[in-house]
Amino acid sequence: MICKKVEKLLSGYFDGILEPEEKEKLETHVESCSLCQEKRREYQIMLEILRKEEFPEPKPYFWERLQQKLKEKEKYLPLTLGKRWSTRAIPVSLIILLLLTAALLIFLPEKKVELSQTEVLLLRNLNPLPETNTLLEEANIENKNMMLIFTSMEEENSERR
Amino acid sequence: MEEKVLVQRSQEGNEEAFAVLVNKYKTKVFNLAFSFTRNRDTADDLAQEVFLKAYLSLSKFQLKSEFGTWLYRITVNHTKDYLRKKIKMKEIHLDDLAVSQQEERLVKEKKEDEEQKRKILYRILDQLPEKYRLILILRDIQGFSYEDLAKILKISPGTVDSRLHRARKMLRQKIMPFLERRHP
Repeated sequence: MICKKVEKLLSGYFDGILEPEEKEKLETHVESCSLCQEKRREYQIMLEILRKEEFPEPKPYFWERLQQKLKEKEKYLPLTLGKRWSTRAIPVSLIILLLLTAALLIFLPEKKVELSQTEVLLLRNLNPLPETNTLLEEANIENKNMMLIFTSMEEENSERR
Repeated sequence: MEEKVLVQRSQEGNEEAFAVLVNKYKTKVFNLAFSFTRNRDTADDLAQEVFLKAYLSLSKFQLKSEFGTWLYRITVNHTKDYLRKKIKMKEIHLDDLAVSQQEERLVKEKKEDEEQKRKILYRILDQLPEKYRLILILRDIQGFSYEDLAKILKISPGTVDSRLHRARKMLRQKIMPFLERRHP
């Protein structure tokens, strides 16, 4: 056993928590090493001083004095179940509200976005003007009016949807 | 009456039940505060504050753990806070706490005087890092078991063992010059 290990074991030795084999090895080493004998003696004296501490008694009427303080602090008395709930009501309600919002967002069906013909063409990267041009360039006035009416109806329908 | 029942009744606001708990633990709580402050009046005030604090926090106490352990943890934390505030207020510097050469000479002259040695030991103890001072007071002055230390300090039993070893080693090295040597 090396002297460095002895110091580590001495702490456990004085607490009586060493394994019998470890304790025997330590004692054998200490008997043959004057430095470790000195260390053991120092530990012994130090722990004896600490463990011999004598304590005075608490001052008289400990409970009576405490009782007076408790009465002064009556408003802080342990919370009853009702009061306990009221302090927790706010965070609990907030959590429920958050959960409901999350559920609504997850389970509500998505709205289908209807696009107008012009928007569809624009999304396909096509120029919507040629179609409009054909509509405007229609020679027959009746056909032209009908086409304009249908187009406007189509636009209205898509907006409503 | 069983301790758990006393705690439950105290939680319901029964002062008589709490009085029984106070009488059971007052000496230990007082002694613990005294180990840190070494002043009877201060220790008594701290012990009163600890019980007041415990009573007002009883609703938070879960009956799964032991009431004593919970109370000792409050005592340790409350006393630590008190000492920190005191040091801040007085602006104590480490130099002020250092053992003077005069004291050192005095102890060397009166090696048999245990009271002097104790005083010096406590002054050295005050200079140790808080976690080491704390574990030495709880184990070597108050005699708490390793298991209790782990619960009070909320550390593993392995950490209790290693921290205690380091704390004792540090204290031994600092107090060594004041102890009588058999082989000079």
